[in-house]
Amino acid sequence: MAHITINQYLQQVLEAIETRDGSFCAELMSFKHPHVANPRLQLSSPEEKCQQVLEPPYDEMVAAHLRCTYAVSNHDFVEAYRCQTAFQAHKEENWALPVMFAVALDLRIFANNAEQQLQKGKGKLGDMLEKAAEQLMSCFRVCASDNRAGIDDSKKWGMLFLINQLFKIYFKINKLHLCKPLIRAIDSSNLKDDYSMAQRVTYKYYVGRKAMFDSDFKPAEEYLSFAFHHCHRSCQRNKRLVLIYLLPVKMLLGHMPTPQLLRKYDLLQFADVTKAVSEGNLLLLNEALAKHETFFIRCGIFLILEKLKIITYRNLFKKVYQLLKTHQLPLDAFLVSLKMMQVEEVDIDEVQCILANLIYMGHIKGYISHQHQKLVVSKQNPFPPLSSVS
Amino acid sequence: MSRKANYRTGSHSRKRGGGRGGGGGGRAECREWRQEQHEEEQIRPEESGPRGTCMSMCPIREVREREAQRLLHRFEILPGTESDRLPRADPSRTVKEYSRPAAGKDSTRPCDLRPPSVLLKTMCFLIDDIATSPTLQPWTEGYDFVFDRLRCVRQDMVIQRVSGAECVAVLERTVRFLLYASYRLCEEPLRLYDPRINDTHLQESLSWLLDCYSSGEHRHLEEFQALSLLYNLGSSRALRCALELPERVRDSPKVRLALAVNRAHLERNPVRVLRLARGLDFLQSCALHRHLGACRQDLLLLYSHGHSSRNCRFPLQCLAGILALEEAPAARLCRAHGVAVNGDYVVFSKASYVEPPPGDLQSTRSPEMVDSKRGNSTVSEVIHGCA
Repeated sequence: MAHITINQYLQQVLEAIETRDGSFCAELMSFKHPHVANPRLQLSSPEEKCQQVLEPPYDEMVAAHLRCTYAVSNHDFVEAYRCQTAFQAHKEENWALPVMFAVALDLRIFANNAEQQLQKGKGKLGDMLEKAAEQLMSCFRVCASDNRAGIDDSKKWGMLFLINQLFKIYFKINKLHLCKPLIRAIDSSNLKDDYSMAQRVTYKYYVGRKAMFDSDFKPAEEYLSFAFHHCHRSCQRNKRLVLIYLLPVKMLLGHMPTPQLLRKYDLLQFADVTKAVSEGNLLLLNEALAKHETFFIRCGIFLILEKLKIITYRNLFKKVYQLLKTHQLPLDAFLVSLKMMQVEEVDIDEVQCILANLIYMGHIKGYISHQHQKLVVSKQNPFPPLSSVS
Repeated sequence: MSRKANYRTGSHSRKRGGGRGGGGGGRAECREWRQEQHEEEQIRPEESGPRGTCMSMCPIREVREREAQRLLHRFEILPGTESDRLPRADPSRTVKEYSRPAAGKDSTRPCDLRPPSVLLKTMCFLIDDIATSPTLQPWTEGYDFVFDRLRCVRQDMVIQRVSGAECVAVLERTVRFLLYASYRLCEEPLRLYDPRINDTHLQESLSWLLDCYSSGEHRHLEEFQALSLLYNLGSSRALRCALELPERVRDSPKVRLALAVNRAHLERNPVRVLRLARGLDFLQSCALHRHLGACRQDLLLLYSHGHSSRNCRFPLQCLAGILALEEAPAARLCRAHGVAVNGDYVVFSKASYVEPPPGDLQSTRSPEMVDSKRGNSTVSEVIHGCA
């Protein structure tokens, strides 16, 4: 396979097309397949040869693919574009979806490479990826608007794959708002639960991250949990990726991870954070955040973790309550606890504000008396369990 | 009424084209602008755009045209000719006006474009002779004029693909001007000042400027990163960008303070936000000002829940201090939110807290939180960045 001639290769493609063997055809168009390393196929102008063997539009697609193998040493992904233009030709059928998947995947990867290459020179960040997204989007429109074909022949089966590719790009170039129409398209689709599990896991992973950035933590937890539980057990790396986002969300909702889990997935960066939050140790929390700042910022969860401060306040104040063993707690005691945690320039007004916020959120049952400078807490269950709140 | 006719009558309405509604128009415009850039790229795929050769603030062709069509703004008319049948233009005060790109119109003629040095000169003229002129009144009209002409300055920069020091200098002043205007005009009715349109242009200029900063060394980088954080308080996008800044920038006093304000906001601690706000300088205060209302409202919401007890009273004076307001406006704000005011005390109750309908609370200038920060420096110094 690796050293076949161009004619042999084209014959294989022709056979795949004639038998409508989508997955074999996809292999022949994919950069994961060894044929791309075959120097006999790396031609700068294979158009004529392709035209001799293949009917349009396939001749153009394959020619573009071969030009792409030629250009790949330069990571010149622009060539890959033309491959997808042929797609609309399949009016009634969807056998070629695997081909599109392979081409789309390569397109995104090349765009990424091109981007990295361009970064060394000048050029606007995200331009290449944005152009790739446009191409994927035009594929998506073809798939989404395929209303006439029966469900088995529908190109709508290609939607989720394309959406996942688009998500990857949008997250990379920080344009999350563009995800919204795609999510709506899937929500209103009657196929949404019937796509392959791998695609659904990827989809839920991105939708979960998006919900997290929008501070919709409950749905975020749901999506990310789905992704975590249904991700294939051999994909430890992917499970770890899901956890990076699932952990902060779970923590915000009051569920702390066990040290074993953190160790298993090599996420010990979270260990001190977890400890600090459950102990109400603001000082340790700040230290832990500062220590792993680069990692947290790179993952885009630093700001979410900062929100854990509110829960840490709650846990700290609960300790104050447990120490004083009374239902009328002097505000000064809280101030002292905050100063102990080296919170900068804090005063009694701020203590009241933090307490008011905790009461508003339902973390503390009680009220503040400004006249008496006391927090009066409920005799029953003044600090409801975190998981019952929010 | 045509856009240009507005000018002649000296009406204040901003020239967004008649049919379009306020904010939506702003966004569409922004898209248009980007499209413009795209079209530009298609016409000339090579690196540089056309080079302007027009050495005055307004191309002579446009001066003649607008003279003939009586489309000169009253600021541009040669003194003494106001009542002539065709008033003459004062070449030292006439500035190229913004015109929408349209099909078939060639906006790339070098003789109609001003090179970067002239654009910067135009910028300075607009600030020193219009925006901060003590004689041109009302200020809203000066604002309209400057707003439009600055837009055209940016358009000229886009077409010529100007970058570098002059581009940065123009954008920095543009952002400062728009920030200042957003505060100074916040009490004006919608027909004289539309905050959303100002916001659209401000965001566009700001992100362009921050883009320019991404390569090379820049003296005012920290200042504008901080302004961006304060103006976009609570935007996770702005915060995320700020977190990716080099440590040196993040640790500069201005950015640190702006980040602290954002953290306080993230923790939902309006008391801290308002306290930190007192330490901001004048322009930073202008940037944050639009968020103060929401911040105070949030504080009343939290306190209504936290201090909700019939037997408890909260001294008004103390509350006013926290809200950074005088007692009378603080009492008014309380009543608008359903917080009972009895003499010198307020009584919080979570049941009676109400959110006033949006638009009911007119944004107001706040002398002690913003204006006082200007100290002895002039507005011109503030906009030029030498305050």
